[in-house]
Amino acid sequence: MALFPLTSNFEEDFVLQLLAVDTDHTMDQVAAAAAHHSVGRRVADRPGQVMRVRRQGSTDPFPRSMTVIESGLAPMECIEVVWEQPVLAAAGGAA
Amino acid sequence: MATLERLEWYDIARSTNWTPTYVTEDELFPPELSGAEGLPMTAWEAYDEPYKQTFPEYVKVQREKDAGAYSVKAALERSNMYANADPGWISVMKAHYGAIARGEYSASTAEARMARFGKAPGMRNMATLGMMDEIRHGQIQLFFPHELCPKDRQFDWAHKAFDTDEWGIIAARHLFDDMFTTRDAVGVALMLTFAFETGFTNMQFLGLAADAAQVGDWTFSSLISSIQTDESRHAQIGGPLVTVLVENGRKDEAQRLVDVGIWRAWRLFSVLTGPIMDYYTPLDHRKQSFKEFMQEWIVAQFERALLDLGLERPWYWDEFMHQIDTQHHGQHLGVWFWRPTVWWNPAAGVSPEERDWLEEKYPGWNATWGTCWDVITDNLLDGKVELTYPETLPVVCNMCQLPINTTPGPAWQVRDFPLEHEGRVYHFCSEPCRWVFEIEPSRYAGHLSLIDRFLAGMIQPMDLSGGLQYMGLAPGEIGDDAHAYAWVDKVRAARERRAS
Repeated sequence: MALFPLTSNFEEDFVLQLLAVDTDHTMDQVAAAAAHHSVGRRVADRPGQVMRVRRQGSTDPFPRSMTVIESGLAPMECIEVVWEQPVLAAAGGAA
Repeated sequence: MATLERLEWYDIARSTNWTPTYVTEDELFPPELSGAEGLPMTAWEAYDEPYKQTFPEYVKVQREKDAGAYSVKAALERSNMYANADPGWISVMKAHYGAIARGEYSASTAEARMARFGKAPGMRNMATLGMMDEIRHGQIQLFFPHELCPKDRQFDWAHKAFDTDEWGIIAARHLFDDMFTTRDAVGVALMLTFAFETGFTNMQFLGLAADAAQVGDWTFSSLISSIQTDESRHAQIGGPLVTVLVENGRKDEAQRLVDVGIWRAWRLFSVLTGPIMDYYTPLDHRKQSFKEFMQEWIVAQFERALLDLGLERPWYWDEFMHQIDTQHHGQHLGVWFWRPTVWWNPAAGVSPEERDWLEEKYPGWNATWGTCWDVITDNLLDGKVELTYPETLPVVCNMCQLPINTTPGPAWQVRDFPLEHEGRVYHFCSEPCRWVFEIEPSRYAGHLSLIDRFLAGMIQPMDLSGGLQYMGLAPGEIGDDAHAYAWVDKVRAARERRAS
């Protein structure tokens, strides 16, 4: 359990931001932390949709329950946080 | 006794090269300082520049310029210009003075390098005058804002800025140190005088002087005009050098340095000039959009100069054209959102009529940048001011040191351009900034960006207050909305009109 810096690239926001998370955080927690700095500040909320985390350039999000340490992300690596319809998110969560 | 006309003696008097006998030529002009590319002295002696000014002429003209600028200042000191000026315009002056005044000394150092180590006699002569120009620019741009310090503490940043680690100054210093103070004479001539001055500042100062006249700030207008006339002379040092290099088989070396210089200069202009022209200058006084200004005065003219001298368009030309349309919108949004971290008060520039202007000049603005401003505006209308402030730092580029950003909204294009070098991962805003690093990593690898410093624990406490303290921003100096959010009232009124 340790502080871990990432670079957050939130869908439809305009800028990369420093994101402090914990190595034990799940991807859902990472997405929520990223949203804190974007959603409701410069990005409109999308009630009912789920936020997913993926590596920059990847089309496949990490499983929602995967932790930062399990993901293999490097410090300050750029993650993309994208919206997903609930039905797709459920499928991804089971992966 | 009859006096010879200037042109009858100028070339002979300027030909100050000689054959050294007590030291070698390389001891007299060390290659690491001359950057002479191994060209023989005869090649350098072919260098010629169009101004051919003499020292007595220089002194006479400069005295007249100073007298003109200072007399306008003195005559208008009791005017109410400052009290009556739009706050957006006041911010233009604050941003300009802080970012530029002390940087002029870096430029003077660079001119001195050419004056001493340039192997072309004509370059040394012009650079001697250029060196004095830049000292004058530093002095005059410190003196003029000085009288405004008692009225507004942010003007103190005209002198203070370069002694701080404020993020914008880290960016400006990184560029000035790279292109002005740590290059050999050839590098300075190509990057400072050709890329930076011929390409950007000469025209930028013309535009800025015109804008100042438009808003009735005759003191600032005469100051900037006075500086611009110096720029238009000493900016000519680089062009003839390109000719010498191209004619002697050094085109690739010249192209590389020019390409680096143009890109680096552009990045700084995207944060300094773009927001000023499209957001800070009052709508009634805007003659051109930043994009129109860039296309007419910078791109078209400079592109022609490049091709005429035998160089090519930089390889990143398409990316450059794309960024002229987009990048300054993001820099502006970032500066406004992180407004406590700058020494001026950013004007939002997004009232309903200003947004109409932006949509007209940049079709699609409302569907992209406008989506971010919609959320900000709604928060201000709902009294949620705290959500219009940041709680973290933007990730900045390890080359230009500016926030990594691009188009938001449904057309979302933001991305990182990382590079691993000797075990450290660097983050860049674009391919060209990464390319600049890759062609000479040892020049840049040791520098720590603001984010690197934060992660290294150099900024304590690790929050906004620690950040402001690290950047030297004291209470009374930190930025806030230039118009005290009066533009939000215009939005409210417009929405009420639509609803009724």
